[in-house]
Amino acid sequence: MSSNPRRRRLAAALALTTALALTAAACGDDGTSGDKGKEGSGKGEITFWDNNGGVRTEVWKEIIADFEKKNPDIKVNYVGIPAESVQSKYDTAIQGGGLPDVGGVGAAMLAAIAAQNALEPLDDRLAKSPLKDKLSTAMVDSVRAAGGGEQMFTLPTSANNGTLWYRTDLFEAAGLDEPSTWTKFYAAAEKLTDKGKNHFGYTIRGGEGSIAQALDAAYGQSGITEFWNGDKTTVNDPKNVAALEKYVGLFKKVTPSADLNNDFKKMVAQWDSGEIGMLSHNLGSYQDHLKALEGKFRGIPNPTLDDGTRVQVSNPVDGIGIFKSSKNKTAAWKFVEFALSHESNSKWNEAAGAIPSNLEAAGDGWVQSAEATKLAAAALNDGTIKIVQLPYYLPDWNSLSKADNEPNFQKVLLGKMSAKDFLDTLAGQLDEAQAEWKKQQ
Amino acid sequence: MITDYQPSVAPEVKHTRSGRSRGRRHRAWDEAPRWQIYLPLGIYLLFTLIPFYWIFLFAVRPAGSTSLVPWPMTGEHFAKVWTERSFATYFQNSVVTGVATLLMTTVVALVGGYALARFDFRGKRPFMLVLLCSQFVPGALLLVPLFRIFAELQLINSLASVVVAETVFQLPLSMILISGFIRNVPYSLEEAAWVDGCNRFHGFRVVVLPLLRPGLIAVGSFAFVHAWNHFLFALMFLSRQDKQTIPVGLNTLMSADSVDLGALAAGGIIAAVPVVIVFAFIQKWLITGFSSGAVKG
Repeated sequence: MSSNPRRRRLAAALALTTALALTAAACGDDGTSGDKGKEGSGKGEITFWDNNGGVRTEVWKEIIADFEKKNPDIKVNYVGIPAESVQSKYDTAIQGGGLPDVGGVGAAMLAAIAAQNALEPLDDRLAKSPLKDKLSTAMVDSVRAAGGGEQMFTLPTSANNGTLWYRTDLFEAAGLDEPSTWTKFYAAAEKLTDKGKNHFGYTIRGGEGSIAQALDAAYGQSGITEFWNGDKTTVNDPKNVAALEKYVGLFKKVTPSADLNNDFKKMVAQWDSGEIGMLSHNLGSYQDHLKALEGKFRGIPNPTLDDGTRVQVSNPVDGIGIFKSSKNKTAAWKFVEFALSHESNSKWNEAAGAIPSNLEAAGDGWVQSAEATKLAAAALNDGTIKIVQLPYYLPDWNSLSKADNEPNFQKVLLGKMSAKDFLDTLAGQLDEAQAEWKKQQ
Repeated sequence: MITDYQPSVAPEVKHTRSGRSRGRRHRAWDEAPRWQIYLPLGIYLLFTLIPFYWIFLFAVRPAGSTSLVPWPMTGEHFAKVWTERSFATYFQNSVVTGVATLLMTTVVALVGGYALARFDFRGKRPFMLVLLCSQFVPGALLLVPLFRIFAELQLINSLASVVVAETVFQLPLSMILISGFIRNVPYSLEEAAWVDGCNRFHGFRVVVLPLLRPGLIAVGSFAFVHAWNHFLFALMFLSRQDKQTIPVGLNTLMSADSVDLGALAAGGIIAAVPVVIVFAFIQKWLITGFSSGAVKG
């Protein structure tokens, strides 16, 4: 160790300078935060972040190849981001820099990203685009609402729908009709259960993502069609409380007890590889069911009330947007337009088994032959489903509908909390979040 | 300074009551029925191996099969993740990241650990305290500052960013461990080397370094495995498909609404194999290393 005071002072000064330089680098603005970006030449490279990377990578690469063939002076760099981490990836990039030009943004996280002023409003561009009037109005309204209501920050690519998947082979063997009403659903769940043989009528979602499914079941049975009654939510309406009590009563009675920790992955894997009669999940798992149970299952929209009324909660609409910091917005918009064109939108949604946002694509042959998608699209578009619009526009919605309340739902399943207390707690939090949101408008 | 060596006299062994009872316990253990040993070990092994069997089963059975035995076997899931899902690229990137982190962590920890073990300097105790405390800071907390620093240094989308971040987070524990190992090497050995004409570096290289092998293997393997498995830095600092690593690749096999379990299991096996191989080769040094260095701070 040096005992020379001059050398020690020099070393200390050097260390301090380095520390200050690094701090300055960390605190300095790299030009992306609050950056308004540029229109650019419409040529060159753009980067696209896929918010559901992996499973949809192949179809996106195909669409990108088609786009580059048509626009040889634009190159698109594809980056697949794991769906579970995309929100944190966007948040870090918004704070630290490095946002892409174009990115996939689902309605569930749109409010949080739009609130950080990171996305470019697309209304003017859409008004001048050939896509005008070619996108589903319901989906456009949904992404507009999720972004705060005034501006449109993403264009919708697809919609999903809550679907009741059921095993046709098990239903036929038991002499059961399709579970088209809630009454038939409960009767079938009971009849198909034989715990001794490890056969169950239904699998319930008790883990991650359980709240949306529970709300779907509650509103579906209560028939309530509005999420808000003035400034108060309807989630804890006595009809919803009664419906949820009946629904959670299925746990362990006609479902495996391991369902307490079911996220969609476990739930779908369990249904695809076991002897379970019914599963509630959206259209996104269609391809998984097809691989495992081809010819032995069907997917229908959620059950109706006995009078034929069908009420479902809204599923988040997926979309793509342009980031304000993009230095080449012209090229980015060309890519967005291409991705939402008839051919590309049809191709993407066929791979995902989802409902296309492009109205021409929604009329394509594959939609007619994919029964679950066809039924969901028809039910959504012909007005036979009454959709309860969940408040995706609330910046707190993601936490309220997930980590904040999922443990409480598990308590309800275990009988340690009543359905009323659970819904009252949720209602209190939602009312507060809504009041806060209104104050900020 | 070399001091006179005073051989210590071995204490006379007395057969005390406790010594006798220990002997009895050893005999009782030796005479215990084998099942009393193997049954608990077997149960433990079963709990450990069933999840691995499950992964193996999903990885090798055809899509849609519900068979509980891995027959007929297929390599389609491995082929799919390796080629279509770019695992060949992710694997290569993970190897580069893991080996570079191993080398940087080991070298810097060796130098820092030597300083901590052999020198007394002002602020040494607070420095050790800060090293320990830095272990409590979660990486997620530093993501934005690190991102900005790497952006300034043009390291975003470069594997170097992950290597530097991993090394920085590995260093405190590694330095503490290495300094413990070095303290276990008698200072007099180095002094003897100096008397024989070595300078400090040469003395360290020929006398101390060979004795640190278990410690270096422990620290190096720990750094490699941590870098191999770490997801967060690779996800945040690498926004190019051709730069991503195995943990990020594994996560992309689970989409928002569907999951390809066969591909996920095959990807999991590809991710696990190098770690298993590393541990199989180094386990004897690893155990020696951690037991001799970890508790002597």
